[in-house]
Amino acid sequence: MTKRTFVFAIILISCVSFCLTQEKSPGVIAIKGANIIPVVGEDITEGTILVKDGLIVAVGKNIAIPAGAKIIDAKGLFAYPGMIDGSCYLGLQEIGSIRATVDYRETGRFNPQAKTVEALRPDSMHIPISRSNGITAALVAPSGGLISGHSGLIRLVGWTPEEMIIKSSVAMHIQFPRLPRLRRRREAQPREQASKQITELKDILKQARYYQKRKDAAKKNLGLHLPEFNEKLEFLIPVVNGKLPVMISVHAENDIKAAIKFVKDEKLKAIFYGVTEGWKIAKDIKKSGIPVIFGSLNSVPPKWEDGYDAFYRNPGVLAKAGVKFAFSSGSASLAKDLPYHAAKAAAFGLDKKEALKGVTIYPAQILGVDKMMGSLEKGKIANIVLADGDILELRTNIKHVFIDGKDVGTSSIYTELLEKFKKR
Amino acid sequence: MKRKTIGIILGLSLVFFSSFSFGQDLLIKNSTILTVTKGIIPKGDILIIKGIIKQIGENIKAPKGVKIIDASGKYVIPGIIDSHTHIALTGTNESAEAITAEVKMRDVLNAEDHSIYTAITGGVTMVHTMHGSGNPIGGENVVIKTKWGKTSEEMIVHSAYRTLKFALGENPKRSNSPTVGTPRYPQSRMGVNAIIRREFLKAKNYMEQWDRYLKAKKSKKTTKNLILPRKDLRMEQLADMLRGKMVARCHSYRADETLEFINLSKEFGFKIACFEHASEAFKIARELAEEKIGISVFLDNWAYKVEASEGIAYSAAYCTKKGVLVSINSDSNERIRRLFNDAAKAMKYGGLSEEEALKLITINPAIQLGVDKIVGSLEVGKHGDIAIFNEHPLSAYTLCEKTIIEGEVYFDRAQYLKEREEMEKKKKEEAKKKEKKGGTR
Amino acid sequence: MKIKKNRLLICLFVAIFFFTATSSARVTPTYAIVNCKIIPVIGSHIEKGIIIIRDGLIESLGPQGKISIPEDAEIIKADGLFAYPGLIDAHTNLFLELPKEEPRRPGAARTTATDPRQKEKAQNPDLMAAKLLKPKKAAVSNLHKIGITTVLAAPERGIYAGQSVLLNVNGEKAEPMVIKSPVALHVNFVTGRGTYPSSLMGTMAFLRQSFLDTAHYFSHKSQFTKSSRGLKRPEYNPFLEALTPYVVKKSPVFFNCANLEDIKRALGLIKEFKLNGFLTGANEAWRVADLLIKNAKVPLLVSLNFKPPSTSIYVNQGEELKKKAEEEIYPANAANLNKKRLTFALTSLGLKKSSDIPKNVQKAIKAGLPKQEALKAMTIIPAKFLGVSNFLGSLEPGKIANVILTSGEIFGEKTNVERVFVDGISFEIKKPPKGAKPTTVNIAGKWSLKVSGPMGEIESTMELEQDGNQISGSISSSMGRWEIRDGILSGNELALSISATMMGQTMDLSFSGTTEKDSIEGTITFMEWSMELTATRIPDGEF
Repeated sequence: MTKRTFVFAIILISCVSFCLTQEKSPGVIAIKGANIIPVVGEDITEGTILVKDGLIVAVGKNIAIPAGAKIIDAKGLFAYPGMIDGSCYLGLQEIGSIRATVDYRETGRFNPQAKTVEALRPDSMHIPISRSNGITAALVAPSGGLISGHSGLIRLVGWTPEEMIIKSSVAMHIQFPRLPRLRRRREAQPREQASKQITELKDILKQARYYQKRKDAAKKNLGLHLPEFNEKLEFLIPVVNGKLPVMISVHAENDIKAAIKFVKDEKLKAIFYGVTEGWKIAKDIKKSGIPVIFGSLNSVPPKWEDGYDAFYRNPGVLAKAGVKFAFSSGSASLAKDLPYHAAKAAAFGLDKKEALKGVTIYPAQILGVDKMMGSLEKGKIANIVLADGDILELRTNIKHVFIDGKDVGTSSIYTELLEKFKKR
Repeated sequence: MKRKTIGIILGLSLVFFSSFSFGQDLLIKNSTILTVTKGIIPKGDILIIKGIIKQIGENIKAPKGVKIIDASGKYVIPGIIDSHTHIALTGTNESAEAITAEVKMRDVLNAEDHSIYTAITGGVTMVHTMHGSGNPIGGENVVIKTKWGKTSEEMIVHSAYRTLKFALGENPKRSNSPTVGTPRYPQSRMGVNAIIRREFLKAKNYMEQWDRYLKAKKSKKTTKNLILPRKDLRMEQLADMLRGKMVARCHSYRADETLEFINLSKEFGFKIACFEHASEAFKIARELAEEKIGISVFLDNWAYKVEASEGIAYSAAYCTKKGVLVSINSDSNERIRRLFNDAAKAMKYGGLSEEEALKLITINPAIQLGVDKIVGSLEVGKHGDIAIFNEHPLSAYTLCEKTIIEGEVYFDRAQYLKEREEMEKKKKEEAKKKEKKGGTR
Repeated sequence: MKIKKNRLLICLFVAIFFFTATSSARVTPTYAIVNCKIIPVIGSHIEKGIIIIRDGLIESLGPQGKISIPEDAEIIKADGLFAYPGLIDAHTNLFLELPKEEPRRPGAARTTATDPRQKEKAQNPDLMAAKLLKPKKAAVSNLHKIGITTVLAAPERGIYAGQSVLLNVNGEKAEPMVIKSPVALHVNFVTGRGTYPSSLMGTMAFLRQSFLDTAHYFSHKSQFTKSSRGLKRPEYNPFLEALTPYVVKKSPVFFNCANLEDIKRALGLIKEFKLNGFLTGANEAWRVADLLIKNAKVPLLVSLNFKPPSTSIYVNQGEELKKKAEEEIYPANAANLNKKRLTFALTSLGLKKSSDIPKNVQKAIKAGLPKQEALKAMTIIPAKFLGVSNFLGSLEPGKIANVILTSGEIFGEKTNVERVFVDGISFEIKKPPKGAKPTTVNIAGKWSLKVSGPMGEIESTMELEQDGNQISGSISSSMGRWEIRDGILSGNELALSISATMMGQTMDLSFSGTTEKDSIEGTITFMEWSMELTATRIPDGEF
């Protein structure tokens, strides 16, 4: 080999390895000149966020930027933590009316063995759309039956499910009766009470406890008969152990009261979902210490006497009573609207700052990942959104989205189709 | 014939007469006025006399006895128009047959539908309430104002275009409903197109039968064998389409079926006022602009069925920029109360200006419905249909505080809050009484 | 078992023969009702008066002393009683046994595209109430108990429900009751079953089209009748035939208005097609009073059914308002119409029990309807509407003797109807025996009966209804269904009168015995025959 080729090869190799190292560890990124809303701590005008190896290493006004850092000029932009969707069907549904594309709902009453992360479609067209509106992580939840299965927490980027999963099992989902829908021309349907559900749950949890005890005893004593494998009970063991929280979807006032008692009696860790009549018993919910994730606020309240804005008022009332809360989109195709539920609640009485927390630090806390995400603080993952305004505002444009320190772009099927037909 | 003219004159005079016992007087002061067509007045007043806007400007003095609303710090826009809903109706779709042009939504108005109230809590003052999309040719729609508390006759807007509902794609071919018994023809897009053509051919034949009869009757030749043709209400409706007395509002999703329907309209010479939903309108923005046919769309409701799976949120803004007349609708008794939120999204998804976004829910639907002379913007001479918001209507943090139609306040949030307070007080008192009695439930 | 049963039958048959052999055809005696207060509705009250009834008509009436009592008259002492014209219920669904409804065929609607006449075939405007009459003794006596002597019985199912019949409730046989048939065509704003139209707007279009088609059919027929040469003959269409008298010849059409929008729809159709239209049902009529004033020529029949329609705003804004609507607002319908000087008749349309009729009239009066107007609304006004005021609707000489004698002022809460004359035939109203002990036993429900007599055992089932002390119901066995005409439960003593029908003949059996909550024991007697009866309750859910 000639000297020239040798030198050329060295340069080539070092370039390639340089590029490769850029892929593996993006090195240092400095987002400079942004108005930073860290959510935890004071807002910083024209500050800098320093990111290294996917983590935030510094947030402040006058941060020294190390040499070799990639500088992103964020002058005039606002930096927010990436939002977290408290519950959605991203990756589990493409087209609502086509069952072949819907995988968040299993048949049967008890499905504690079902795990949403095992049905995830990383290539779903809805994920980039939600992501490009500033949502960086989401709880993907199951539905259906009485015990629907495990929800998981995912980051909204990744080629395979493995790459997306942050936490494969966040909570066991339980469905109490919904509020009767407002029907035209027909009087309100008589409502199912949750008492039936509670009896069934108590029964199966009791069975799960005995199953576990029996298993443990049999392990210690070869002479004892080992109970036959029971899938449902097996997967409920972490729930009765208190290791896996339950997320109970519950709406009616009396059902919420019954659910609070149920959780206490069974000594479970719990999160409530939906809670549309929560405003009627805010004090009780606060006392119970159970946090609440709101579903989509976009339904017409079925009871006239509750008022046309009952669902919009709800978060404000609960927040004032001191209940820990978060928002969710409850959707796949409309997951990008997460921030607008928070804004709507702010229009009807929720403090604006609390609304923002409801899509950032509060869901992180409720889902047990607040050490990792939910705010722009040193040591947390670099999930950062750069926008030209308030991210809860409808008219705001998201300019950059970073997940784990990497700019994931803002393209989606929306932009792709638009570009395609612009060429006509 | 003479009787007919007298009848028309009487009818018209009745309409005029009733329009004179019209509206109320109102002065709205000190608000930011977004007129939509004539710019923004940062701090201005609107004077409405007998339901008509008499003056827009600064420092207007209230004539004696006129009710005054102090809207300091608030935003005033024209009443929102939802050009595609199914509210205020008893029944939506005549599903027993595929072609039902003879049915009229005007016959089944229900002024007691709570959805009307839901609409006014969202600043909506006028809706185009329609037949469902289960039939290739549905029924005649009707435009009403959301005058909650008034009778159904008082709500009808008589000057709007007469519109007939057409539907293409998955809904009329029933591909999303389970098949019970013998499937109803048509079951494919081929059939949907063919059945619409068939009905117009039948209508032409019907019109010809009547023409020949009338001619033969006039002629000197013997009329002994002449039997009066049967008057068929279904054919009469389609004949009115061909005569230009009624326009088509066509529910379609895919770009191709939209273009095919345009071809049909040219084949028979009827007019299309608007395509409903038109998820893929952005793909054929050029054709729509050339043919001057408007669209009435969701901003971002999509992916609920296959034909809506390419319904990108940019479509509304993109088509607007390409010169298509675009309105946003709700087609829902829930979404109807946040049309202003949907309009705001057109700024984010496609870069429309504030004024262009507001037009999507005010003057644009008005033009599509043929009522732009009386509503759709805040101009002197138009009806006093107004929505008052506490923040800019395109902000996510806004809410509607008052909805006014022809100078009369139909929704007042302050009043609503007061009533709620009183209700809560009453409940507390009753609870206390029960406790005193011994606390028995 | 079979042989024994037949023997019992033979015995009863023999008994029937003798029984009927002694009874003869009915003769209406002449009556003189003396010493009653007469409220004739037309004309002034007569404090102490006499009414002479002869050959089914009111021969004369007037103050005591001015009217001479004929020799052949049976004198009915009516001291302290009030005489009113028999009440007219101008729209009811009683008495009719409707043909069984065909089960809905799924997907039937989908096939209509091929058969354009399917929609017509699904309607039955030619259903004649007169052919469906199955008067029941209990129903007849219930009507008499509340003073009703004339009813318009109409079929009720479907858009074109059929044609009604006007009846004088003068006994138990159908044909002698008929005054006029058909009276009117009845239209409901409902949808077709499993066929077009399947929506209310479809129904409106269908009604319009059928009126147009009827006129067209008639014109073609008339043209053909005038000169048939060279003309295509009209196709026979039974549906349009049935509609012709109503659309072309302007016979009355009743539109059943479930809510205020139906009233508007009906008036629109009446105007558009120049029909001889009547509004009925209309329990929200007061809400469109101004429109009704403009259309005062259209007869208005208002139902005493106070249940608000499901579309009503009063029903959808909370429980409190809903209750108020049922108890205060809707009962005030008639009172409000009266305030606006609208003329209307009161009907029982929609009420399930005839005992609700006086109850609801009282409610309407409490809500502000003057008693006189209530009386007119059930006498002369419906008579005028139905075109029979020449011979019904008031106590005037020459009119049909439909008279009711009441113990107090009509519609009073404590007032009882003592006696009723229909077509001059007298019916005494049986009262619950004085001293009937209040009972705490509830024997309503289904019972399994065993009757054992000299012939052996017969098994059957009995269904009972209880209203305080009054017991009614029926017994079903292999011999058919027998009506329990009269029943009194006094304490735990039960007495029943049973109308047993066997081989076309009706006999009266009586039962007396004692009851507990789930068992009844006693004796059935007929003439000298007596049989032991035991009954055990069938728990709910068993058949």
